Amino acid sequence: MAQVVLQDIVKSYGSLYAVNHVSLTVDDGEFVALVGPSGCGKTTTLNLVAGLLPMTDGDIVIGDRIVTDLDPKDRDIAMVFQNYALYPNKTVYKNLAFPLQMRKLPKDEIDQKVRAAAKVLDIVPLLERRPRELSGGQQQRVALGRALVRDPRVFLMDEPLSNLDAKLRVQMRTEIKRFHQDLNATIIYVTHDQLEAVTMADKMAVMNKGFLQQYDTPKNVFDNPVNTFVASFIGSPAMSLVPLEVVQRGDQAVLTNEAGWELPLSAMNTRKALKATTNKVVLGARHSTIKLHKSETVGAVPARVYTVEPTGDITFVQAFVGEAVVIVSLDPTVIVRPDEDVWLEFDQERMHLFDGETTMALSAA
Amino acid sequence: MSIATGRAASPLSARSAKKPNVFSRMAAHRTDYLYVLPALIVMMVVIAYPIYYTIELSFYRTPPNLQLRDKVWAGFDNYTAVLSSSVFHEVTLNTVIWTVASTFFSFVLGLGAALSLHREFIGRGLFRALLMIPYVVSAVAASYVWKWLYHSDFGVIGALAVQLGFTSEPINFLDNRQTVLSSLIVVNIWREFSFAMVMMMAGLQTVPEQLLRAAQVDGATPWNRFWHVTFPHLKGVSMVTVLLLMVANFNSIIIPFIMTGGGPADASHIWITHIYQLAFGRQQWGAAAAYAVILFIVMMALGYFYVKALTRGDEARQE
Repeated sequence: MAQVVLQDIVKSYGSLYAVNHVSLTVDDGEFVALVGPSGCGKTTTLNLVAGLLPMTDGDIVIGDRIVTDLDPKDRDIAMVFQNYALYPNKTVYKNLAFPLQMRKLPKDEIDQKVRAAAKVLDIVPLLERRPRELSGGQQQRVALGRALVRDPRVFLMDEPLSNLDAKLRVQMRTEIKRFHQDLNATIIYVTHDQLEAVTMADKMAVMNKGFLQQYDTPKNVFDNPVNTFVASFIGSPAMSLVPLEVVQRGDQAVLTNEAGWELPLSAMNTRKALKATTNKVVLGARHSTIKLHKSETVGAVPARVYTVEPTGDITFVQAFVGEAVVIVSLDPTVIVRPDEDVWLEFDQERMHLFDGETTMALSAA
Repeated sequence: MSIATGRAASPLSARSAKKPNVFSRMAAHRTDYLYVLPALIVMMVVIAYPIYYTIELSFYRTPPNLQLRDKVWAGFDNYTAVLSSSVFHEVTLNTVIWTVASTFFSFVLGLGAALSLHREFIGRGLFRALLMIPYVVSAVAASYVWKWLYHSDFGVIGALAVQLGFTSEPINFLDNRQTVLSSLIVVNIWREFSFAMVMMMAGLQTVPEQLLRAAQVDGATPWNRFWHVTFPHLKGVSMVTVLLLMVANFNSIIIPFIMTGGGPADASHIWITHIYQLAFGRQQWGAAAAYAVILFIVMMALGYFYVKALTRGDEARQE
């Protein structure tokens, strides 16, 4: 296994930048998820690492070699595709053997490696079958096997679970995680499902419109999103974002909106809010850090309930604060009705403030 | 209790309903048949009756005029005469050479053209259109043009061969027993490869991009990618294309009929031109009919085995 370094890589189609100056380092044995909405450049990035697309600019280093100008076959990578990409006319055995045959390994060595990989992935009984005779989960395991058999320096996975049904996806998620732990493999994993990224990856790279937004551990990305895009993309339900205005009252800053209410900020949040480039800030809060009051309360802002979604152990309430929707989680014993007037209290310790102009997170330091 | 017996009976009735006899099934759908009856009558008149009449004629000795009511029952005489004649063997050999060579080279050239046109390059649309021309040009017109191209005195091809120093005098393509059949096959290939090309281009569109990428990552060379991914994927469309080409070639008439009429000395006769000549040239209706019936049987047998081979994969998939 090896380290992978992307140095300022660029892929452009004319004036359109699919990948815009992305740099990141995947350490040896690390599981990194590239995550973002469709069209954000994550699959393009993966294809650039694989060498399946010519790169406009930048360098890619795998291990101790610069692979920028090498063909995919010379990069010592293995890839798992969204629709498995198994060769339909070959048996499972021949699918697994194919990359080894292409490298002209001797027959008995191929046989030995194929059987070893099949054993690891528990597909020995399937070796003589053809891909169309397998279930989606089995096909995915064969695809993993074909990657594994080569003993590559890095595994590239392009949305490998998105063709599976929900139940199987959860099961395969744990299997891939296990696969990573057992092999201590370097894996770059593309997904549009932030939950997959959060649950499986050591680090996640959040991308949007070709730019790398944030590259950090899932916990840090979740706790300290660098901008409003990351804040709204990671977490389910997403962080609520409320655009407001900041006004200074003596030492203290307060947030207001057109309705005229004022929300005084703590000393720490005052420092953050006053760093904004204009008087526009965005208040961000996760559902669990907001308290809902049924009567007017000091330090809480008025809101109107829009919908109520009971999920069993938690009830999610969507309420309008001005034009913005805020999601609050409630104990199911609290009864709230649509169109009811409520007051929301934000936890000053755990709230986020973003610059209304640049969308970047504001820090106290 | 009655419900229980009803349940017990249902698997039995389901099984008997699975293989009902054809006539009871037809009776059950009699109104449906009524709706298709007009079309059925038309088809009987234009398809079934000629087939029946050809089979009937093949058992009669017919007078060399159109007074077919004077025909005389001949039993299998026509068949034995046809099968034992030396012309039959020559024509059959010609037909096999014609069909196999035309089909093989049209397919290979068509596949090659489709593969080269599959990649992006400047002027691809123009090339595609140019290569389509042979197939859209009228076969009769093309045959006349080729006849002139081949002409022993005024032909461009012969003149070119002389200019380039391949031969000292123009080649006699069509008036020579040795070269006539291959010259016609070249024209046929020229005409048919663009059909194969269109079929294979359509097939190439369906090869999944991800499979090719997977093979690329797996270390496959371009040739290996073609051999292990593209070509197996084209199996279905290839078989259909070859079947259609074979049927068309077995039944072709226009090119040999117009360019040589089967000559010189029957050297370029294939079955259809020979049957045509027997029937409408020499008025040997009975013998021509016997030929046609044999051809019909051969074609049906070929088609049956071919379609069976073609659908074997589908059945396996359904299981």
